[in-house]
Amino acid sequence: MTDEPTQPESESGPDPTRVRYLTPDSCRIHLGTHGALHVTVRDERIYGGVYAAYAFPVAYGDQFISLLHSAGEGKDVEIGLIRNLSDFPPQQADLVRQALARRYFIHTITRIHEIGWKYGFVSLDVETDKGRVQFMMRWKSDRAVDYGRRGKVLIDVDENRYLIPNLDALSPGERADFTRIIYW
Amino acid sequence: MSGPRSVLLNMPLPAELAHLAAKEGVEVDRAWLTTATDLNLAGSYERVFLLAETDRLVTLALPDKSGRPATRICLARQSISEIRTRQGVGGGFLDALVDGIYVEVVAYSNARADVFHKTAAKLKSWLRGIQPDVGPEDDADPRRCPKCGMMLEFKGDLCKRCINRGAVFVRVLRMMRPYTGKAVVMMALVLAGIGLSLIPQQMIRVLIDQVLAPGQAGNLPPANATTWLLALVAALLGIHVVMAGIHMIMGRLASFVGTQITFDMRSRVFGHLTRLGVDYYDRYNVGQLMSRVAGDTEQMKGFVHQMTSGFMAQMITVVAVGAVLFSLNWKLAMITLLPAPLVVTAAIFFWKRIYPRYFRVWDANSKLHGTLNTILSGIRVVKAFGQEHREQNRFARSSGYVRDSFRGVEYTVTLFNPSIGVLFQLGGILVWFVGGQWVLAHDLTLGKLMAFLGYLGMFYHPLGQLTQLTNWLTQFLTATQRTFEILDTNPQIAEQDQPRPLLEKGGSIRFENVTFGYSRHEPVIKNVSFEVAPGEHIGIVGKSGCGKTTLINLLARFYDVDEGRILVDGIDVRELQLQQLRAYVGVVLQEPFLFRGTIYNNLTYGQRDATPEQVLSAAKAANAHEFIIRHPLGYDTYIGERGAGLSGGERQRISIARALLYDPKILILDEATSNVDTESEQLIQEALERVTAGRTTIAIAHRLSTLKNSDRILVVDNGQIVEHGTHEQLLGQKGLYYKLVKIQTELSREPSVDALSNRKP
Ligand SMILES: Nc1ncnc2c1ncn2[C@@H]1O[C@H](COP(=O)(O)OP(=O)(O)OP(=O)(O)O)[C@@H](O)[C@H]1O
Ligand SMILES: [Mg+2]
Repeated sequence: MTDEPTQPESESGPDPTRVRYLTPDSCRIHLGTHGALHVTVRDERIYGGVYAAYAFPVAYGDQFISLLHSAGEGKDVEIGLIRNLSDFPPQQADLVRQALARRYFIHTITRIHEIGWKYGFVSLDVETDKGRVQFMMRWKSDRAVDYGRRGKVLIDVDENRYLIPNLDALSPGERADFTRIIYW
Repeated sequence: MSGPRSVLLNMPLPAELAHLAAKEGVEVDRAWLTTATDLNLAGSYERVFLLAETDRLVTLALPDKSGRPATRICLARQSISEIRTRQGVGGGFLDALVDGIYVEVVAYSNARADVFHKTAAKLKSWLRGIQPDVGPEDDADPRRCPKCGMMLEFKGDLCKRCINRGAVFVRVLRMMRPYTGKAVVMMALVLAGIGLSLIPQQMIRVLIDQVLAPGQAGNLPPANATTWLLALVAALLGIHVVMAGIHMIMGRLASFVGTQITFDMRSRVFGHLTRLGVDYYDRYNVGQLMSRVAGDTEQMKGFVHQMTSGFMAQMITVVAVGAVLFSLNWKLAMITLLPAPLVVTAAIFFWKRIYPRYFRVWDANSKLHGTLNTILSGIRVVKAFGQEHREQNRFARSSGYVRDSFRGVEYTVTLFNPSIGVLFQLGGILVWFVGGQWVLAHDLTLGKLMAFLGYLGMFYHPLGQLTQLTNWLTQFLTATQRTFEILDTNPQIAEQDQPRPLLEKGGSIRFENVTFGYSRHEPVIKNVSFEVAPGEHIGIVGKSGCGKTTLINLLARFYDVDEGRILVDGIDVRELQLQQLRAYVGVVLQEPFLFRGTIYNNLTYGQRDATPEQVLSAAKAANAHEFIIRHPLGYDTYIGERGAGLSGGERQRISIARALLYDPKILILDEATSNVDTESEQLIQEALERVTAGRTTIAIAHRLSTLKNSDRILVVDNGQIVEHGTHEQLLGQKGLYYKLVKIQTELSREPSVDALSNRKP
């Protein structure tokens, strides 16, 4: 690759003490070599190997998305924050959404077929956006954490994540079964 | 490939995929590493294989309908300058640095994270041109249960799926072994008591049938009757007196054994807790542990109580009375058992539906403990931010949760138990109904019926109580289980069976390719190697969070390394006796912790037999003497929890003095003087220089002037040692150290910093 500017990173780049908001005017999000996500910031440089992260995954889903550039191990720098993804052209916004989907590997539970408890483990058989899944989780409060006001994130024994966005959206039977075991 | 193969890193390709790959020119048979992930790069489930050939990295997956090739990514080794794993949320990526850009090669869910951490490590050495070995030893994972493969919470943790639950009772009984004699006497008394309690009803039967009821066949003449009456009444009194005596002795014995076992259990749990590694405390809330030591062990007393007057006694009573009932009149006895199936059904209902609500109560209680602990130990922060009101609310919420969950259970139980009571009364009512008719028909004597009803009372009461047996039993088992869980957790820092003795010589330290991470996905220390000669003074600098304290934690063996080893005087620290190692290595922690007690007690914490002279000179060296002596009570000044009543710098100085008094061969100062003013620091430095002469010393400091007397300085960045050398050498290198010095010199015009450039003879 030769489209990398040769300036040393410490000289060019965002001010690390200040939040910078990226706008469609100031930057362009595109794909580069090997399908890696790139961001070109006007009057600055092209950043390759970019990934995206939610600043407030629960409170503000589509807003405040951080774009980060990995400059080496432990040296990831934030290029800037996107205040609102919908401000960007759909194509660019989609690229960011795909990057988010890659980073956040989370199952969203839509139905609970079965939930059981045995000796400190909860076994679940659920319907998710990624298909039907069975998993086991430790029966401990830090394995099922609150998500917003009425949601829960379950973390299984392999540390995979399962999201119930809203308990009230489950059927009363499922909810009763669920809260009997995961009561906190 | 020949030789033993790894299950995880030498996976066979499915035949179809192998066939396609071969057509596309992938040398499937020559790959030295083949592994599979469960996700594709779009983040959906798909089985994708990663192959490493001699000089290519390939990912393969079965093609979908679109007819794209099986080869997804193919990177030549020359084009890759680095490999790393990157943690996402719920999964991660293996990235390759190609042309200055990190390219995602493989995505994986957390279930496969360990495999890819291992893979990345192999690929890294492959990049450096060293062909790594792949074999069955790569399949072993200390963070999984060796029996069932379940992910453990931390290394050395007990697999909760594999522990034997049935053994709990056996273990409890085993704990009673020292008190076997007393327990046997106790049980004998229980049996005697129950036996005696059966007699009065028989006497009542005789009383009614033979003495009181006139005009019945077999009655005694009136004169004899009076004598009999008196005799029977006297006997009744005697029996009750004897029973009271039995209960007194039994109660005392039970109390003795019960409290003693609780005491034993507590000592064992506490002893074990102190042996557990620091990482155990990273996972468990101290408040929760407190409730385990204080509350759960209390259940042991309950167990003994249940033996003498609780369920055990009731069970025996039920059996004994049942036998008597059947011998009195088996037909009536059968009738009393009619409601039994209903009772069993009710008990099962209780197990399934009501019992789980107790979880909520226990959880609420332990949360309340936790909240209380957090708020009270952080009271200064609370006040500093004026958040008393908010904490009041937080506590009220917690406390309200306890109230509500208790109500939830008790409301249900108060509904349940009386209903069960009615079921039991049903049996008695049936007896009145049927037995009454039999008496009227002269098929049964009145005395027998009365005795029967008397026994029935003795039968139903404990039977009713027994419905709570499951309730108590589960509570007992859960609490005991929690206690045993602590006892069974392996101290992650395991003591060697035959530790090697340290030869009292130099105090050299050697880190060999040490890698370590607190959590399994993120190494904090990465392949660090360095050596410290005996008596050398080493300074460590680096940004906050770069891993300086972690290096110390490893040296003092608060944690064990994941890879590599640490040698002290040529011996791996894991082969040393912990006690000896800790006596050899003295650490002044970054956050000095002082116990409630006098300053003197705190100073002599590691060295109880220190003489006052030693204490004084240590305090003097740490520049603590002057401020201590200013207190009216001097060294006998009482300080509160965590050293309350002292300033931050004073606390640090006491903890330096404490370490000096300990007189270790290797002294470690982690930011030991960060809260001390520059002048005092200067004094401490001078004193330290005197006492640390000939002693291996490692000092960590942000204030670089603190390290000006070091023989050598290590610069840590991101878990690696990036520079090392003397102050001058490092300045000459114009690297990170130079940058740090420059920043500090610009920030302050302190003479000590200026002195940095012209120090050291
Ligand atoms: N007990 C722990 N559990 C999990 N992570 C930890 C733990 N202690 C430290 N860390 C992490 O390990 C990294 C290194 O921490 P360490 O305490 O070694 O830093 P340090 O160099 O001493 O920093 P400082 O100069 O601020 O004291 C940090 O990112 C920190 O968040
Ligand atoms: Mg530190």
